[in-house]
Amino acid sequence: MSINNVLIAVIAIIAAPILGGLLTGIDRKISARMQNRFGPPLLQPFYDFFKLIGKQGIAVNQTQMVYVLGHLFFAIGALVMLVLKQDLLMIMFILAFSAVSLIMGAMSVRSPYSKIGAQREIMQMMAYEPVLLLMVVGVYKATGSFMISGIFEHDKPLIYSLPLVFLSFLYVLTIKLRKSPFDFATSHHGHQELIKGLTTEFSGTQLALLELTDWIDLVLFMGLISLFFAKPLWIGILIALVSYFLEIVIDNISARVTWQLMVKLTWAAGIGAALVNIVWMYLIP
Amino acid sequence: LKGELAVDWYLLLAAILLPALSAALCFILKNQKVRIAIVSLSTVLLFAVAGGFISLMFNSPDGKIVFQMDEGTLEMIGWIIKGLDLLLFGYIGYIGIKHKKAIVVVLCVLQFIPWALFEVFGVFGKVSEPEEAFVIDHLSLIMIMLVSIIGPIITFFALGYMKEHEHHLHLKVSRQPRFFMILFIFLGAMNALVMTDNLSWMYFFWEVTTLCSFLLISHDGTEIAIKNGLRALWINSVGGVAFIIAIVLVNSSLGTLSIQAISASGMKGAFTGMLPIALALLCIAGFTKSAQFPFQSWLLGAMVAPTPVSALLHSSTMVKAGVYLVVRIAPAFAGTILGTLVATAGAFTFVAASAVAISQSNAKKVLAYSTIANLGLIICCAGIGTRISLAAAVLLMIFHAVSKGLLFLCVGTIEQGIGSRDIEDMQGLFKKMPFTTVITVIGMISMLLPPFGVLITKWMAIETAVHLPLVLLFIILGSALTVVFWAKWIGIILTMSYKPKFNVEKLAFSMKAALSALIVFVMAASIGIVPLYNNFVKPQIISFSIADKEELAGTGMGIWLHKVDSAVYGGFASILFFVIILILMVAIPIFSNKIKPNRLKPPYLCGGNVDEDFKGLEFIAPGDKVDKVVVRNYYMESVFGENKLTFYSNIIAGAIIIITLGVVIGL
Repeated sequence: MSINNVLIAVIAIIAAPILGGLLTGIDRKISARMQNRFGPPLLQPFYDFFKLIGKQGIAVNQTQMVYVLGHLFFAIGALVMLVLKQDLLMIMFILAFSAVSLIMGAMSVRSPYSKIGAQREIMQMMAYEPVLLLMVVGVYKATGSFMISGIFEHDKPLIYSLPLVFLSFLYVLTIKLRKSPFDFATSHHGHQELIKGLTTEFSGTQLALLELTDWIDLVLFMGLISLFFAKPLWIGILIALVSYFLEIVIDNISARVTWQLMVKLTWAAGIGAALVNIVWMYLIP
Repeated sequence: LKGELAVDWYLLLAAILLPALSAALCFILKNQKVRIAIVSLSTVLLFAVAGGFISLMFNSPDGKIVFQMDEGTLEMIGWIIKGLDLLLFGYIGYIGIKHKKAIVVVLCVLQFIPWALFEVFGVFGKVSEPEEAFVIDHLSLIMIMLVSIIGPIITFFALGYMKEHEHHLHLKVSRQPRFFMILFIFLGAMNALVMTDNLSWMYFFWEVTTLCSFLLISHDGTEIAIKNGLRALWINSVGGVAFIIAIVLVNSSLGTLSIQAISASGMKGAFTGMLPIALALLCIAGFTKSAQFPFQSWLLGAMVAPTPVSALLHSSTMVKAGVYLVVRIAPAFAGTILGTLVATAGAFTFVAASAVAISQSNAKKVLAYSTIANLGLIICCAGIGTRISLAAAVLLMIFHAVSKGLLFLCVGTIEQGIGSRDIEDMQGLFKKMPFTTVITVIGMISMLLPPFGVLITKWMAIETAVHLPLVLLFIILGSALTVVFWAKWIGIILTMSYKPKFNVEKLAFSMKAALSALIVFVMAASIGIVPLYNNFVKPQIISFSIADKEELAGTGMGIWLHKVDSAVYGGFASILFFVIILILMVAIPIFSNKIKPNRLKPPYLCGGNVDEDFKGLEFIAPGDKVDKVVVRNYYMESVFGENKLTFYSNIIAGAIIIITLGVVIGL
């Protein structure tokens, strides 16, 4: 690893949470306006974060924090691999580790709400994981490489070859970001049938770190979206922002579905669409 | 024998005859203390044998250790093996008659007739047995390491386990002498099986492992044990029939029974006439032994046996013999339609077994289905037939053997500790068995998450399967399903409430030592994937004669996939991520000590927690009623249930096999 790479990695690790936090702030602001509220200040996510950090450490058992750290570190690992233009398929697997770590944390306590949230998160993974992997396959079929650097060496933007894969990726993004209609692993409102689901038993610093990981994930996914439009990169970033806006709109106009329906929808529509796209990629000689 | 007995010959004899000797001693000397001494000594000696072979291999210039025999010796040993073959047929037939199982007898006769006609009477032409009776290349070496290192560790574990096991059964006369005898015969047969270059000798050792697995599965002598043992026997006999027919066909089409020659035949344009049929039959033999769909039921039934048996069958012996054969002959059909079909069959088993595993709450069954799935993936990789996929197959054989051997021993230990093998009963295991829990969890993580080896091979499999869309889809769906059943189980095991103090677990020394040794191997294999690949797997992959020129390089801190023009198209620096794992492992004790008891709160139960209940086991429901909290995992029986999927999966898998046969006959 050269000094240059280390520098890029460090910048990414510092910049991603800031960007992610800002995006979340914008999200809350826009959502509020859509609901005819004034909404919190733009920097509210950061205020929340620092307040949570300052809270007394309360825990249900001694191990929770370890899983939170696993969740965070592997998300950072995936982010670093992204900015260093590493293997896209492995990034997906590293993200899976990060997700499984959170699931283990949620299941490590005896709270039924946390456990149900974790079970739903597992179902969610089962649903979206194939779509993500198929997306990677699509990228390979278009560029002939699994390395992200291969995408940048490719002449045409990926979107020309992979429009349906892109759509199913956007669909999966709604699940990944736990936005409505797929927010059944943890809800935004703490009084519903699963309380806060997955995150019910996390508090203080733990919760702050979970927030932080969400921000990093958000940036990571924005990065993945922009890959589809790479060259010039700024168009990609623009499209990523537009996509995020779209997610916010969907979040605000839809009600939560059951997880059973989500799994069916994802396997039928998500995998289906991606597969159709990949089939034609295979048929192009 | 040529010249004086050199070191390599002593090692060869030790690898096969030492277990046989230990077996005899275990059977004759029935004293427990003597048995402990024999097993311990054999363990050390077998380690030494494996070590000896490794050092011989490193000093061998062409990456092979060849044992050449002159005609006289060859013939003599050949006849000895033929005699033993006959005994074996007789004994298996006797078992069939004794237990009134017609199919065992029928399949035994079906093997005996072609065998006698071919081997004894020479009806199908001259039997050309290779002069190089034993050839050890890197693939054999890897198998020897698995057999002679993991095998003895499991046997050593069995010392403590079987004592406890028989204590539960209230036996008047210990049956351990018989048990350890069969274990050792099994190890010797496996060693011989992977070293011989003579297909018909391999067939003999193959049948020995079949017989041993019957004897071990039915060891407890209960009705179900015998029933499942017989099932293992007849299903594997189907493979035996395929094997013996394949031998006849290979001999007539290639003019030799040398396994090396079969492997090298692919590039010589020999893939015509009878050879494709022979190769397909050998693959089917491998499928039965590796419990691929539709032959999986024998391995699932095998869990009635004492745990060390399951651990042995699932990790280094028996099922690995099947995949070893398929990987061994894979270069002969690399890139052909047969390869594609084998890959499809393996990939289908991978996805089907992973799906069924989701619905299982029996820990041993989950492990069994996971084994079937992983063997499917190995066979799939062998079928894909690129250098990278073959490397993935061999690596997965290693990683799966260590992890699965460990996990079976863990489940056996847990079962003796809590009296149940139901996953739902493992909540709060950390309190009762902290040592076993930690090892179990690491073992499980090593089966599904990066940067551990099993996942890396899965990643390699996907990246190299891109030219086979259906296979690729199966692997992708399978790996998503894999995450589900492991994550559920890990979550249950790690469930715990606050513990001011951890119990110290009491385990027999042999069990503790075996678990510790295996966890060290699991970690070492994954962390050292680069040297492991470069020193043991890569030489083998390079020596395979196949057309594919893509290359897998282990450089720097990871594994990199190169195209023909040596451009990197995939790669992963796995070692960097072990640093993160290491940090997390250090973090656990730090965080558990940092938290003060008064900062701990009970979990939220949507009602008042019962006073002083910090575990969150009970809560006050409406009407001041105290209710228990019960949360179960999702098993989705209605979708993934065994009775829902098995039938259709068997039909599809059976169809793939019939299609394969149709294709090779039509070629």
